[in-house]
Amino acid sequence: MLEVNHLSVRYDQKPVLKKVNLRLETGKILAVIGPNGAGKSTLVRALSGIIPAETGRIVFDGHDLANLPPHERARLVAIVPQVRHLPPAFTAWQVVLLGRTPYLNWFGQVSAQDEAIVRQAMEQTRTLELAKRLVSELSGGELQRLLLARALVQTTPIMLLDEPTTHLDLHYQISLLNQVQELVRQPAAISLENGHRSPPAVLVVLHDLNLVARYADQVMLLVDGQVRAYGSQAEVLRADLLSEAFGIPLEVMRSPNGKFPIIVPLMA
Amino acid sequence: MPGHFQALKTDPNPVHLFEEMMKRLSFLLVFTLLLTLILSACSPAPAPAVTEAASPPATAPTPLPQPTVTLEPMPEPTDEPIILSDGLGRTVTLPAPAQRIVSMAPSNTEILFAVGAGGQVVGRDDFSNYPPEALALLTIGGSMGDYNLEQIVSLNPDLVLAAEINTPEQVKAMEDLGLTVFYLSNPADMEGLYAMLDTVGELSGHKTQAETLAASLSERVAVVEATLSAIETPVTVFYQLDGTEPAKPWTVGPGNFIDLLIRMAGGENIGASLEFAWGQLSLEALLVADPEVILLGDANYGVTVEQVAGRAGWGDLSAVREGRVFPFDDDLVSRPGPRMVDGLEEMARIFHPDLFE
Amino acid sequence: MLKERTARPFLIALLILAVALVLSVMVGSVFIPPGDLFIVLKAALQGQTPSSPELGTFTTILFSIRLPRTVLIAMTGAALACSGSAYQGLFRNPLADPYLIGVASGAGLGAVAAMSLRWPYTTLGLLAVPLAAFSGGLLTVWIVYVLARMGRTLPVTNLILAGVAMSSFATALTTFLMLNSTGELRRALVWLLGGSTLSGWQPVIALMPYWLVGLGALITTGHALNVMQFGDEQAQQLGLPVTRVRRLIIIVASLTTAAAVAFVGVIGFVGLIVPHILRLLVGGDYRRLMPLALLGGAAFLLLADVLARVIMAPQELPVGVITALAGAPFFLWVLRRTRQQNLWG
Repeated sequence: MLEVNHLSVRYDQKPVLKKVNLRLETGKILAVIGPNGAGKSTLVRALSGIIPAETGRIVFDGHDLANLPPHERARLVAIVPQVRHLPPAFTAWQVVLLGRTPYLNWFGQVSAQDEAIVRQAMEQTRTLELAKRLVSELSGGELQRLLLARALVQTTPIMLLDEPTTHLDLHYQISLLNQVQELVRQPAAISLENGHRSPPAVLVVLHDLNLVARYADQVMLLVDGQVRAYGSQAEVLRADLLSEAFGIPLEVMRSPNGKFPIIVPLMA
Repeated sequence: MPGHFQALKTDPNPVHLFEEMMKRLSFLLVFTLLLTLILSACSPAPAPAVTEAASPPATAPTPLPQPTVTLEPMPEPTDEPIILSDGLGRTVTLPAPAQRIVSMAPSNTEILFAVGAGGQVVGRDDFSNYPPEALALLTIGGSMGDYNLEQIVSLNPDLVLAAEINTPEQVKAMEDLGLTVFYLSNPADMEGLYAMLDTVGELSGHKTQAETLAASLSERVAVVEATLSAIETPVTVFYQLDGTEPAKPWTVGPGNFIDLLIRMAGGENIGASLEFAWGQLSLEALLVADPEVILLGDANYGVTVEQVAGRAGWGDLSAVREGRVFPFDDDLVSRPGPRMVDGLEEMARIFHPDLFE
Repeated sequence: MLKERTARPFLIALLILAVALVLSVMVGSVFIPPGDLFIVLKAALQGQTPSSPELGTFTTILFSIRLPRTVLIAMTGAALACSGSAYQGLFRNPLADPYLIGVASGAGLGAVAAMSLRWPYTTLGLLAVPLAAFSGGLLTVWIVYVLARMGRTLPVTNLILAGVAMSSFATALTTFLMLNSTGELRRALVWLLGGSTLSGWQPVIALMPYWLVGLGALITTGHALNVMQFGDEQAQQLGLPVTRVRRLIIIVASLTTAAAVAFVGVIGFVGLIVPHILRLLVGGDYRRLMPLALLGGAAFLLLADVLARVIMAPQELPVGVITALAGAPFFLWVLRRTRQQNLWG
């Protein structure tokens, strides 16, 4: 379980995250929502260790993540970033394989077990048939699934997804989030190196509030670097909170089958 | 070592392994560095030395025509070895006067022929073009600073004559190949020039001839100086080394032999105000100085009086208006050798036509 | 298509290198008949002195001129190609070459500065110039590093900008020194054209430790460079300590390049073109590119040097002229032939 206490981050003197507290529980999906510039991506990057925290601690299982060297941190936290910065000359297989980096030596020697893990992850994300294709030949949706596979291969107890549905059409949006949900509901199909056999804890940043409504176990509303609301769907997906945060009037309705809330913007 | 390395390879921190590797390798590096310094101080022995008896090499040079002016075609016999100190402070020893000489500079070629050693020269650099007999010699490089070491070695020389245009690295390279190299520094004045001729004479076994040459040159210089003693004011002169940038032509400054010759020829070099032995003078300064005579030292490269007269702003120079711009053979004054006196006389004729015919 | 992971490219590269080595030893302005070549080699291996003055000349030419030059050129080509590959991977930029962050201009400045001090003609005095060049190159890289550092990170853009700035500065200073040193101007020009190596085995011995360490380390950096291709953020998130790795690779590549430049001068194009050609032929996996760059760079520069000696015989051209003239069209030909997808995105 990941605990974040009073996390504050600054960019060039400007505070971007102010005293954020959160908890990621194994087997649960936490969705982070908020208007642009709220600090959602910053939160992901701070959790992954690329941005130093000004104050606050990020603790996993008693370990303060800030004290860990990068390769150890990478065995605990995996990121699925937005699709960009992928070297076009690499094959899909090579991209996913590099997710094993935290476990490889300086020479990058790959064992049979590493390859088995890669194969499994690509099967799970239905990208195995793309294995020999070059990155430059693949669509945005295929690449996003590759990045998910890469994160899976890292076999970490924590996974952070930064707006993974941006480039995907509706079919792939649902497909990807279904896969993420599968991951957290079932015990890990991939055996984890660090002994953890429980499903990962997932944090996903999403823009589409209806996807949040469909998949999130917990929701956090981030506005201006501060946690505006944090808790279950019922507690956070409320018309008054959301309208205030996003600056437009919204209505929260119930889906016809009664299972999910539906958030509808009301235009004046 | 292997066991530890294995352990390192499975070390979870891969960069740690790399840094360990680097540390070990740096010890190796420091050790080999020290070894290198010691080795280079001892200097590795060159390849087995070529034996003295000079049988013709695989590529024989074309037969040389006899030089047209020779007082003593045969070198003089000497009993003792020749030991001289060269321009780099090196002590050079020749058991006998050199019979197979390679010249690395046009100035050296001229001096060698002038002291009567032309028949002993087996190779020359690309730019040696005087006297005309030199053109028949095998060339050994020199353009773009690159000399053909293989050619030089195959000529089997007993003396390589280098000049100041050659670098110490080139001298060392030939030394390392087992060749005897003598580096002739540029002279700073006429005495230095005569000493240069003496040295080459001694190296090639034409000492007497060299002395005679020096004496005759000295006489000619004395004549020029005597004739000019009547002059009260020297003629102001601009010597153009390179005019490709007409607004900032290159000229000679103090410390340059050409500057000395100008003064000895009864001229005053307006470039004497420069900081270094050569530099660029602005056209404005040139206009202010308004020299009485302009010498085109780049005439050998195709620069003509008409060209110069046509340059923007140059038409205002009185030397241009009154037709006192003259092409000048730069080889006469830029190559340290006997022809410098020719250059001196030529200059004196141009500066003071009334005193010389 | 995924490039088959066979050993074939390495075998081909080795073959080409072998041919280049043989050519380099056999070609020169003096023609050594193959029969005499064998006699001379055999005699040297048996430790005998040559039996005739003609064979003596051949022995000198072979062992004091051609062999050391062959080794020097081969190692320099390997050093430049490996450094170039590493820099292209490090900076994720196809225009990167080993001189990007100032090694060459710094070395030139060091060399010319040493020349203007006019050291005496002694062994150490003559070593002063390459030593100064080496130090100048490394000092410049260090200054660039300090200028580009931002907190705990080492951003690529900063490195490039600082590198370009320092290069210009060093070059300007060099030009100024050259103009002011009158007598040494020609010596400086010859050095800058790459023609004034202390020939013979001395440079080879002096450079060997740097090559062994530098090249040995560089060819292991393939995996790290692969990870770096994903950008600093993703590489760090995947567990690679980006700043540390970048610093290490810069140090090693700079050492190797500075050593090469100190004795051989600045030979352009090799470090830029050879990695590109290899990338077009075997793909972008740096674990294969780095060792291939070693073999390919050596072969490339050897062949260029052979051409330089032969094309306008008996005059020898500086090898840098050949690399520039021959490299560009060859590269364009490979580019057209393989018609790969854009490898840089």
